[in-house]
Amino acid sequence: MQDFDTLLKNSSAAHGHLCSGQVVGVRMAMLGCRLISLDEPTRIDQIKKLIVYVEMDRCTGDAVAFVTGVKLGRRSLKFMDYGIMAATFVNLETNTAFRVISTEEARDLATVYAPEVPEKYPQQIEAYKRMPDSVLFRVQKVRVHMSEYDLPGPTRRKVACSRCAQVVRDNREVVQNGHILCKPCAQGAYFSEAEEINWPNMNWTPV
Amino acid sequence: MIKTIKLKDAVGTKLAHDITEIRPGEFKGAAFHKGHTLCNEDLCQLQKLGKNHLYLIDLEKDEIHENEAAAIMAKALAGKGVVWKNEPREGKIGLKAGINGLLTINVAALAAFNMIEEVMCATLHNHTLVKTGELVAATRAIPLVMKRAPIERAAAIAGQTGGVVSVLPIRQRKTGLIITGNEVYQGLIEDRFAPILTRKLTDLNCEVDCISFAPDDTEIIRQAICSHIDRGCDLILLSGGMSVDPDDVTREGIILAGADEIYYGAAALPGAMFLVAYIGKVPLIGVPACGLHHRTTVLDLVLPRILAGEKIGKKELAFLGHGGLCQDCPECTYPHCSFGKGS
Repeated sequence: MQDFDTLLKNSSAAHGHLCSGQVVGVRMAMLGCRLISLDEPTRIDQIKKLIVYVEMDRCTGDAVAFVTGVKLGRRSLKFMDYGIMAATFVNLETNTAFRVISTEEARDLATVYAPEVPEKYPQQIEAYKRMPDSVLFRVQKVRVHMSEYDLPGPTRRKVACSRCAQVVRDNREVVQNGHILCKPCAQGAYFSEAEEINWPNMNWTPV
Repeated sequence: MIKTIKLKDAVGTKLAHDITEIRPGEFKGAAFHKGHTLCNEDLCQLQKLGKNHLYLIDLEKDEIHENEAAAIMAKALAGKGVVWKNEPREGKIGLKAGINGLLTINVAALAAFNMIEEVMCATLHNHTLVKTGELVAATRAIPLVMKRAPIERAAAIAGQTGGVVSVLPIRQRKTGLIITGNEVYQGLIEDRFAPILTRKLTDLNCEVDCISFAPDDTEIIRQAICSHIDRGCDLILLSGGMSVDPDDVTREGIILAGADEIYYGAAALPGAMFLVAYIGKVPLIGVPACGLHHRTTVLDLVLPRILAGEKIGKKELAFLGHGGLCQDCPECTYPHCSFGKGS
């Protein structure tokens, strides 16, 4: 794994800016990988051993994903929408998992760890670099129950929704009264009033 | 796990913790100690102490008793020059100075430690001069029984840089004094600076090796500094010539002598025109004229720190600001006042 400064620089560039969330995320990922004994998580021999559950869609989440190399499309990044500054690092080979939680008190302690920096956000960035892991994080050893349908690899199951005919992958369908349904049909969705349309230049192709 | 039992049913059981008795103005301490086996005769006194129920403790695997917690925390908190005994009193363990010296507190680590739920540590102010055996800090777990994990995390925070509370020895230095000013050099007035600085140094067990006098002349001041360094002085105090008049040239003399670092101005009153410089590893301290008129100045705040081996720079002088205002009391009570206690 690269050193902290290099990881922070590159992660911030990928994210778009340097912020306290980036510092916390890079450090969270470094600690998480250390706990599950993966020293080069983006290297080919380790990349398939790692699953990371990220519990926030904030700057920290991007930094965790950057450092560990986990990706939604590779199914190594799982987004759990808890709104908690935490991530769980799973080593599939050793079946060990640790949940690393960013402490709330770290925010209050920024003033004592970087007292010479007057402005709030630069002070947090500097302070979060200086704090030891023990101040910045709490860690829980956890067990993660993963279905075979959550693992990386080829699609293991495909079914069609009996109402809208949409194909549903990886056991995400819902069975109601014996009927297979996609989640939007069964439970409602984040969108509403869906109406099929045509659009301008609809025959465009990139090649 | 804690179970509550009625006092009348407690005969024959062992106390789970010290029972404190307070007689205002007379006594505060343990009337009964943890582990004491209760007998019928104890019940009356316990009732007088307001106890009608007692705890029975059966610790779970992940739980810890306050006394064990206090010992874990004391061990982690204690840095160099600090001693403690594993003899908790009412759940508290005191940390004492193991040597005479300067108390140093890792304030950030102390704050982080105290942010952990159910633990606490209170200390004397950072940079207080302390004597062997003096109580400098105390720690305890707040509840009687708690989870082990937070205690161990608190201990990790406390122990990260070798402990939160340390006492650094005041190292003896071969000290040279340079008293500047035409008025003294030419004998127009009697010098009063040398006796004051000598007393402050000897109060810290530091002997003055040599005293020289220099007029307001940068070259002669430079020569005096170099002469002291050649004699082997590893600390030089210069008085006078630190202000803004054309004759105040001590600072220029220090620069001419080859100062590698120079920090002029301290966020303290009296002592705003204080100076710290370094030639190699030798600290030079420029004491402004306030040192003549005020019993306590910024010199009293900085000198012990330099003698304890701390490198003083811009940041250290700037951080004096909070608490750096002397109230100039008719009768000086320093160090028993707020002067210098904020940094």
